[in-house]
Amino acid sequence: MSAVLNDGQQARTLVSLRNLNKHYGDFAAVDDISLDIQDGEFLTFLGSSGSGKSTTLSMLAGFETPSSGEILVNGASLVNVPPHKRDIGMVFQRYSLFPHLSVRDNIAFPLAIRKRSAAERDKQVDAMLKLVQLDSFAHRRPAQLSGGQQQRVAIARALVYEPRILLMDEPLGALDKKLREDLQDELRQLHRRLGITIVYVTHDQEEAMRLSQRIAIFSHGKIVGLGTGYDLYQNPPNAFVASFLGNSNFLRVKAHGNGAASFEGQPVAMRLTPGLAEGQEVLLMVRPEKALALSVEQAAREALPAGWNEVTARVGEVLFLGESQTCSVVTAGGTAMTVKALSAAGMPMQPGDTVKVRWAVADACVYTQWAESDLNKAAGAH
Amino acid sequence: MKVAINALQTPSGAAAGAKGAAMKHTPPLRERWRGSRNLLPALLFLGLFFFAPLIGLLLRGVLEPVPGLGNYEQLFANSAYARVLFNTFSVAGLVTLISVLLGFPLAWAITLVPRGWGRWLLNIVLLSMWTSLLARTYSWLVLLQASGVINKALMALGIVDAPLEMVHNLTGVVIGMSYIMIPFIVLPLQATMQAIDPMVLQAGSICGASPWNNFFKVFLPLCRSGLFSGALMVFVMSLGYYVTPALLGGAQNMMLPEFIVQQVQSFLNWGLASAAAALLIAITLVLFYFYLKLQPESPVGNSNAR
Repeated sequence: MSAVLNDGQQARTLVSLRNLNKHYGDFAAVDDISLDIQDGEFLTFLGSSGSGKSTTLSMLAGFETPSSGEILVNGASLVNVPPHKRDIGMVFQRYSLFPHLSVRDNIAFPLAIRKRSAAERDKQVDAMLKLVQLDSFAHRRPAQLSGGQQQRVAIARALVYEPRILLMDEPLGALDKKLREDLQDELRQLHRRLGITIVYVTHDQEEAMRLSQRIAIFSHGKIVGLGTGYDLYQNPPNAFVASFLGNSNFLRVKAHGNGAASFEGQPVAMRLTPGLAEGQEVLLMVRPEKALALSVEQAAREALPAGWNEVTARVGEVLFLGESQTCSVVTAGGTAMTVKALSAAGMPMQPGDTVKVRWAVADACVYTQWAESDLNKAAGAH
Repeated sequence: MKVAINALQTPSGAAAGAKGAAMKHTPPLRERWRGSRNLLPALLFLGLFFFAPLIGLLLRGVLEPVPGLGNYEQLFANSAYARVLFNTFSVAGLVTLISVLLGFPLAWAITLVPRGWGRWLLNIVLLSMWTSLLARTYSWLVLLQASGVINKALMALGIVDAPLEMVHNLTGVVIGMSYIMIPFIVLPLQATMQAIDPMVLQAGSICGASPWNNFFKVFLPLCRSGLFSGALMVFVMSLGYYVTPALLGGAQNMMLPEFIVQQVQSFLNWGLASAAAALLIAITLVLFYFYLKLQPESPVGNSNAR
């Protein structure tokens, strides 16, 4: 699922956040975060607004001082270093270009501040203008550019002085969908070409998946999931991540021994999970596309393969979504589930039909602890 | 102007409206002046009550007491009169400088403090502007005079032995006028500062600009339009200011407005007074021309328009 797979990446830690906290009065915006960022990686902070991802980024940039904790870059503390000495590049949500300077002067600004010679400055600015394909707009003012062009100027301005780390705070949030996808592709290629470390903040999970090598999922000031997009989606570490990323079906079951359980009285198998008490409440999570819905006749024709579960349910609604179709069903015990299949596979059900919903034991994640609010998709948002 | 023209065209149908839109950039002369007849009453009023007296004034400068440019010659040749011109410019320049130096931090403070506080500070500035000019000028007289609070305090503290002469001279004029002019620089400057996106300053610092660099290379250039219009307003107003110089100034070091009053009231020399007034108008017009030339389109306004 992750767009950029780890291709022989060295595992050298560049930035380390150690027990980082940010309190505003009693409110903990960032609550004891520890995180290692690898050199050259594209890491995304994903979370809803108010989850602490932007505050963490601000602390990295130096606009906010941590209430406690440490930020280390190559082992040296950054906490008391002012923003202008951090040698970090940043792209802001609303571009924040200098309105009184031309595109060229905007990009040259960090070099002018660093007192580079005019010849070197020109050379690097030209290279940057080429990189972001704005050569012909060099003499315009930011106000004369479109949003996408302004954001490319902002990226060039952040990269021109070759910072160690590039921070991006929802940089594509203000752009329309088509342009956003184009810039995402450009950004991914740029990261590959330059090998720079990028920390990217977004609330858009598709964007996070598309861009990053690793994703850190934020909720209420904590990192609740960290890993590649693939791992986080296929094997969410907890019920919150499961419901936050993509769609999910949650089944409440009662454990009977190690790999067995009962769902609404019917026996189901589940992954071997150590340390389960007899009769303990356990949560199973099945992705809609991992589940199959078969009509009664189909189910009679095709025997249940080994290592699969089957429950009976009634069809509520069948939706056609273009490349895929979804079918919402309700079990006898009132548990709502969604089954998703490619349109090509066909789903010949009608509302009211009885169906057999099947899933492979290996595809269902098992959670022994969860909060009710984790299961609600809207819970992440405030 | 263009809006007005388009508005006039709308009743004549959609086709005409579209035509108007197409010609928006270079409307032919006839099109452009269409409907200007409606301006006639206003023009008549302006002509009768503004231009006619103004022309009369200008004529007096060249006709009285004898036709010719004698009055102007006198104004520049007579060293006492030249002194008046010099006083006027140096006081106006000094007042502008001081009110910029004091007004800039004040405008900045109003912008930076939390919203409620900022409004209070701004209200105080406005309140001082709305208080009677005479009351404010006389209170400076009370403060600055030889037996005033400031001199007494300085002497009590042992800083000076004899009272400083801070009134009835140009010092008093500069102090009093700077105080009166500060709101005129704070208001446009504060509006400009308010419009600056604070994120732009954050961008400046992350790009490597120290607070010092950030101020001079980002913040100050973004304040330029407000600074320009405020400073020009103060300078032009100072050139023609009468009440404060008359009350706080002395008889020997006059400014141009006082000189005009003196010529009219004491010497009934309408010609010389008119020439001096005309000079003031000319200087203002020249300054205004440079203002229009130098003032670029406001960078801040542009970024906000998006």
